[in-house]
Amino acid sequence: MSVDKEEAHQRLKAAVHYTVSRICQKMGEDYRREFSRQVIAAIAETAVRQCDIFAKDLEAFARHAKRSTVSTEDVKLVARRSTALSIYIQNKSEELNQEQRDLKKKSTGKRKSRDTEEEESRQ
Amino acid sequence: MTNPYAERQDSLTTSQNMAERDAEIGFKKETVSKLLSSFFKEDKTRLGGDAVLLMTEMLKVFVQEAAVRSQKQAESEDCDQVDIEHFEKILPQLLLDF
Repeated sequence: MSVDKEEAHQRLKAAVHYTVSRICQKMGEDYRREFSRQVIAAIAETAVRQCDIFAKDLEAFARHAKRSTVSTEDVKLVARRSTALSIYIQNKSEELNQEQRDLKKKSTGKRKSRDTEEEESRQ
Repeated sequence: MTNPYAERQDSLTTSQNMAERDAEIGFKKETVSKLLSSFFKEDKTRLGGDAVLLMTEMLKVFVQEAAVRSQKQAESEDCDQVDIEHFEKILPQLLLDF
């Protein structure tokens, strides 16, 4: 069982490494300064370790609020140390809410117009 | 008569716009979700959908910050390539900032 877990973990780390590599490659092209393979591996490793810290914090915040599901409020708390980061995450959260509201409006908008049409025909 | 395809096309354009906006390289939310979940101490702890999306963003920002700061360090030292010592120098502050 633990061998499977270890394999799954390795696969996740490899997935992180892949994306980190792509981000660094693009940045290397944009800024004309390439990243050594060692640096890319180090950033990927650090990102995974940072996820450990994030996850433990998220879990603690959720538990503190007597929830078992981590919410966006917990994420906003994790981003509290840097003002710029905090604002960025706040904005992303509002963007997400706005998109969800827009999607809801589309489906209820049709219903509402149909309702008013029915009312008008009744009158 | 309403065109049943009109609404579907609208949602397609929206997701196309979203896809164009997110054409930047980023982490897959499945990867982030599984990774974070693997570090939870309790089995009952779950990750909300929106929380995963936000954490995906945050992880991307973390990696971008690590990369940009390393690059600026390499630049300040007049180096052609970003090497491990540049990353090592910016790492402490990066961790403090997050």
